[in-house]
Amino acid sequence: MASNVKQYKAIGEELWKGRSEKINAELFALTYGALVVQLIQDYEDYDEVNKQLEKMGYNIGTRLIEDFLARSGMGRCSDFREVGEVIAKVGFKTFLNITPSVVHALPPSPTPNRQSNPTPSQPSFTLTLDENPLTEFVELPEDALEGGLWFSNVLCGVIRGALEMVQMQVQAEFVSDVLRGDESSEIRVKLVKYLEEEVPVGDD
Amino acid sequence: MSHHLFLLSPSDTPLYSLTHQSTKPAPAVASPLAANLPTWSTSAFAGTLTALSGASSATQQSTSGPTRVGGGQDRHDVMRKDSGMYLKAVDKFNEWTVSAFVTPGNMKFLLLHEAKNDDGIRSFFMEVWELYVKTLVNPFHSAHTPVRSGVFDSRVRASAKKYL
Repeated sequence: MASNVKQYKAIGEELWKGRSEKINAELFALTYGALVVQLIQDYEDYDEVNKQLEKMGYNIGTRLIEDFLARSGMGRCSDFREVGEVIAKVGFKTFLNITPSVVHALPPSPTPNRQSNPTPSQPSFTLTLDENPLTEFVELPEDALEGGLWFSNVLCGVIRGALEMVQMQVQAEFVSDVLRGDESSEIRVKLVKYLEEEVPVGDD
Repeated sequence: MSHHLFLLSPSDTPLYSLTHQSTKPAPAVASPLAANLPTWSTSAFAGTLTALSGASSATQQSTSGPTRVGGGQDRHDVMRKDSGMYLKAVDKFNEWTVSAFVTPGNMKFLLLHEAKNDDGIRSFFMEVWELYVKTLVNPFHSAHTPVRSGVFDSRVRASAKKYL
């Protein structure tokens, strides 16, 4: 398992270095910040803003996965644990140049069977972001803190969208955020179910 | 010995103010000055502003032309020279000396103080400028609105303790 982790790190590093089109981090942070502030002004409800950020992330994720798989050439992950490792070490590294640490929470006998109800025995992993390029200069004002804004919620959407395209339905959400005064920023990704390949209607 | 810092927007609206009590030994000047502190009245404003524009044009040599076009023009000329941002003492208000610092974004920092402390004040202004720029890039802060960041406040206070 350890060698796989090292492999993923190396792949991630290579992919990051190989990308010729990089963007100035400050510009990126400013753009995202302006986007969030505009959403807040438009919707005036922090829950709604969180939803919209997640939706935007979802749209990005559904397309980003294609790009990611094409560049990395990674094959199918054997289990949900590997999914977590690949997302953290290769995915985040390739696109944001950060490597969040992963903590897995797997049920005692991990079997990827298709359960439609999210029971506590579903596998999940938690990504801990020790740095976040989106929040470079951000300080949340009082009402955003009280209103429950998850500033980087777009990341949760990206994870959900990307995994849905590879036949996994997950729930991704922030559980803590340094912007809110917590000790660390963590995203928990929980597997809901594996999706069956849908046969198009009228194909028999 | 106390100091009063004011940050003014280009349209001369006060965006931030701070009163700092210095722990450094003050020259023995009996100062019943608390009563004289300018609560931002228009008369104090006008006086300081004319002094500011006056000081700016004073640092320009006669190459700027026969007539002084107006405050804005002069400040731009001042700001072209990097060291020209710090204008040192521009005015005296009762017993207080007013030192000014103009940023390239046309923000004005004013410090009211009693004692002479050019180097310390210059360093203080430079640090306040850096802290101000960091606040500006916070997406939740709109330009030219009062600065409400707690982080900015505590850092400015720490800087004041260090230099004043």
